[in-house]
Amino acid sequence: MKLKAFIPLIFCIGFFCAKSGSAQISMSADTIIQKVTRVMNPAQSKAEMKMTIMTTSKKTRTFVYLAYSKNHGEKTLMKYLEPSRVKGQAILMLNNADDIWVYFPRTRRVRKLATHAKKQKMEGSDFSYEDMGVGDAFIDEFSSRLLGEEKKEGQLCYRLELKRKPKSSSGYSKLVMWVDKENFIPLVVDYYHDDDSTLLEKQLVCSDIKVIDKIPTPMQMVMYNKLDRTQTSMELPEVTYKVNLEDDLFTERGMKK
Amino acid sequence: MRKLLYGVSLSLLLITRPSAQEVDIFGYFEPQFNLIYLDDGYYQLQSNKLRVDLKSNPSETIEFGANFDWIVYHGKRDWNFWDFIPKEVTSSVHPYRKPRYRFTYDDRSFLDNAYLRLSFPSFDLMVGKQQISLGTGYAWNPTDVFNFKDIMDPTYEQPGHNAFRIDLPLKDGFSLLALYSPESTWENSGKLLRLKGRRGHFDFSITGTETEWGVTDYEHAFFNLFTTHKRRLLGGDFVGELLGLGVWGEGAYNFVGDFEDFWELLVGGDYTFDSELYLMLEFYHHSLAKSDYRQYDLNDWLRFFYQEQKSLTRYQVFCLIQYPVTDLLNIGGSTLVSVSDGSIALVPTALYSLHENVELTLIGNINVGKEGKAYGTSQGHSLLLRSRVYF
Repeated sequence: MKLKAFIPLIFCIGFFCAKSGSAQISMSADTIIQKVTRVMNPAQSKAEMKMTIMTTSKKTRTFVYLAYSKNHGEKTLMKYLEPSRVKGQAILMLNNADDIWVYFPRTRRVRKLATHAKKQKMEGSDFSYEDMGVGDAFIDEFSSRLLGEEKKEGQLCYRLELKRKPKSSSGYSKLVMWVDKENFIPLVVDYYHDDDSTLLEKQLVCSDIKVIDKIPTPMQMVMYNKLDRTQTSMELPEVTYKVNLEDDLFTERGMKK
Repeated sequence: MRKLLYGVSLSLLLITRPSAQEVDIFGYFEPQFNLIYLDDGYYQLQSNKLRVDLKSNPSETIEFGANFDWIVYHGKRDWNFWDFIPKEVTSSVHPYRKPRYRFTYDDRSFLDNAYLRLSFPSFDLMVGKQQISLGTGYAWNPTDVFNFKDIMDPTYEQPGHNAFRIDLPLKDGFSLLALYSPESTWENSGKLLRLKGRRGHFDFSITGTETEWGVTDYEHAFFNLFTTHKRRLLGGDFVGELLGLGVWGEGAYNFVGDFEDFWELLVGGDYTFDSELYLMLEFYHHSLAKSDYRQYDLNDWLRFFYQEQKSLTRYQVFCLIQYPVTDLLNIGGSTLVSVSDGSIALVPTALYSLHENVELTLIGNINVGKEGKAYGTSQGHSLLLRSRVYF
């Protein structure tokens, strides 16, 4: 798995962290990652997201979609609102993004994607399908080590190194993460190349953290592709955690509605 | 019945008109330029298509959707299938029959889809002209008796079909689809039942359909003898993952009353490499098609051209490659191989995103097979340039 944590990063951030406060003293890396994973997976959420891709030729492509999440991120549904070219398209991810379906409204066809397809860029962005998934990837796919504490993005952070486990299917050999000590939000995540653990491939930066429904939420995230020299930003014009989403929404029937 | 279905759908459009701001209007404009090389001559065919979609949700449980298409053609609009058939075949047929196989790209404006969908707690009901998409195959769909894919451009949208459709979710991820596509009588109307389920990382379905199948005897001396047959299909499909590869399959056995029974089978797989190179492979078998190209006759060619039969050749392989050269440009192509006769068609493609809502597509078609074979030179070569502006 690559970064199975993008949506949760947006949705989440908080319920647990709000209670954590700055009273954290020293923790083990495993404990920190567990807390990160917990805060990244709110029970339910609904958000409007605006994704802007900055291409190598400095052109921009903007997508707006609705994203729904349930069962602490185990189920995710994304429905495109803009641009017209992809309006009505939907992506359903179940079982922590192990199963992915894409719905094309003009042909009313649903296509199931195999795991390898998660490597594909989502609408040409710097996020792959896999990046948009959710789950316990940081725990299941990586072994973590606490490197220390340092300031990042103006906040005091835990600095962690996550190395891919031997049998992991992650597309990254290593992650380096700066986790805000206040709320356990990973403010910056460095993603290292699949075949070269010294080659920085992508960097995710979270900012503009606001409290939504009592949950601190990063209202902006930017993924920098260090190899392609491109970047994709994600904004959240609307987000709520006070929703009661039916299971039926996370089905083929729900994709088509 | 057909008029009634239109009426219901259009009435809903009028009902929603007072609150026109709730009707979502979108669509696209699609100019195309097609350059064809045939019999040592170059020809041009252009088309301009405007598609306007309407969609409205008067409530959470009611959806109305429709689209109107206007298509105008320019250039060489008059063609004859005869010119695409190998000389060995046409030479044995008297030339006076040639005009019979003419076809013209006439300007068209039509209501492609117009449907009403009502969502009830335990099922969805969809009435009107609508898309019907069946099967897991990319280039061919043995279980789909309603559509005929253009193998050079398999993902292009299919025409709408009149139907009543019920989608019934069942327990444990299973669902049932019941569809009735009305024609003049119950007997010749299309009926479909499909049970779909999921086990592990695999989706599968079992499909049964009953339709009327029209087959023409084009070799009849005086006129094209068109006969209809009751066609009952029993088939199934699956899609999932095996050893890291995406895999799918689809098969169907067709019981055709007083005609010949036949079966179709498709298996496919795909993989995306770390470089984002995408590779797909499909194998297709159609038992009614012939395996020896020397036996292809006028009926075989014309039934394929007139979309009465999905394949001219018995065994085929479809290979698709796509690669994102830049974040705005995808290049690739497909290769069609008739395993039965050894002919090959190359279909290079390029897709460029000119703007958020503007796409440019280039599709080539080079038939490199020997004259007389499925992808032989008798079918010429072509280059299609398509732009599409979404609004």
